[in-house]
Amino acid sequence: MNPETGSLVPSFVIFHVGTRRVALPRDCVAEMIASPLLFSFPHTTPMIAGVALRRGRIVPVLDLGPGLLGAASPTARFFLVVERCISNIAERCAIPVQGECELVAANMLPAAGPDEFVAGCLALNGEMIDVLDLEKAIAAGARIQEESVAAAEALS
Amino acid sequence: MTQPVGSSLMPRDTRPREQVAVFSIAQFRFAISAASIQEIRSTDSLGGTVVELDRPVLRKVRHIVERDARSYYVVSGYEHFHLPASRPTTVLILRNAPVAVLVDKIEEMAEMRVLLTLPHSFHGEERTWYRGLTVLERNVLPVANPLGFLTAAELLRLEEQNPGLLETAAAQRYEGGRA
Repeated sequence: MNPETGSLVPSFVIFHVGTRRVALPRDCVAEMIASPLLFSFPHTTPMIAGVALRRGRIVPVLDLGPGLLGAASPTARFFLVVERCISNIAERCAIPVQGECELVAANMLPAAGPDEFVAGCLALNGEMIDVLDLEKAIAAGARIQEESVAAAEALS
Repeated sequence: MTQPVGSSLMPRDTRPREQVAVFSIAQFRFAISAASIQEIRSTDSLGGTVVELDRPVLRKVRHIVERDARSYYVVSGYEHFHLPASRPTTVLILRNAPVAVLVDKIEEMAEMRVLLTLPHSFHGEERTWYRGLTVLERNVLPVANPLGFLTAAELLRLEEQNPGLLETAAAQRYEGGRA
């Protein structure tokens, strides 16, 4: 049961990464914010576009584009702040999203596609929307980005 | 030294303060504890005391520099941070490590009031490079770890491939001074 709504049907937040419409379970999502000032500095962790300063906290900005689209996602006006669990430590990260987000209540169906980072899908108005396993989506994007860096280094 | 306070700013300003030097490499700015710096020199003023390594086992270290009877491995800042080639004009000679870091320039000296831990999402070399992040004039800057420019393993490799070079350079300088 969803403790916030008292409903037996779970809630999901639907959003766009580039042209792809995907969803995350509602309890992964903390808030949606307008595009914050992004600070970048050298690092070697794939997927991280920089950090934002949010209420005195450092929030890493993770672009899901490489994993979902095969390329960095376009400029975003909004960021979804999600909660990750890294080595049993909760940490908030911001994901650039395009367009509007929706909150829907629906039952998740088994995943149909080949993407390993898809935990299931939602059938909404005749459209099938993939529900992401956030950690697997991040890992998939990191793998793609690392492969493209290695390929670029091999060519240079 | 400023203590890490987790990822949040403290409500009352009772935090310890730390003097930092802000330096730049390429388009990026970094902070480093002023207490960790022995000397800040122009690259132009180091001409006669630089020795090329016989076996440069690390791309970022090709020379040693001798200062006051001590020798230091010269670490290229842009190579260390995997940045495009830049134009270093300044050398930071560190106090507690045999390291001199080439940077583009010193931007300012400032007072750091908060040191935020690097978020766990970062899991690459930056965990060695940085002590954490700080906020100066509403900008987030990484705070360089003075011991991160050359790790113990890297120092060992340099010493193994260039045995006694640091000591030799210092001794030669000392003998020359006595003569």
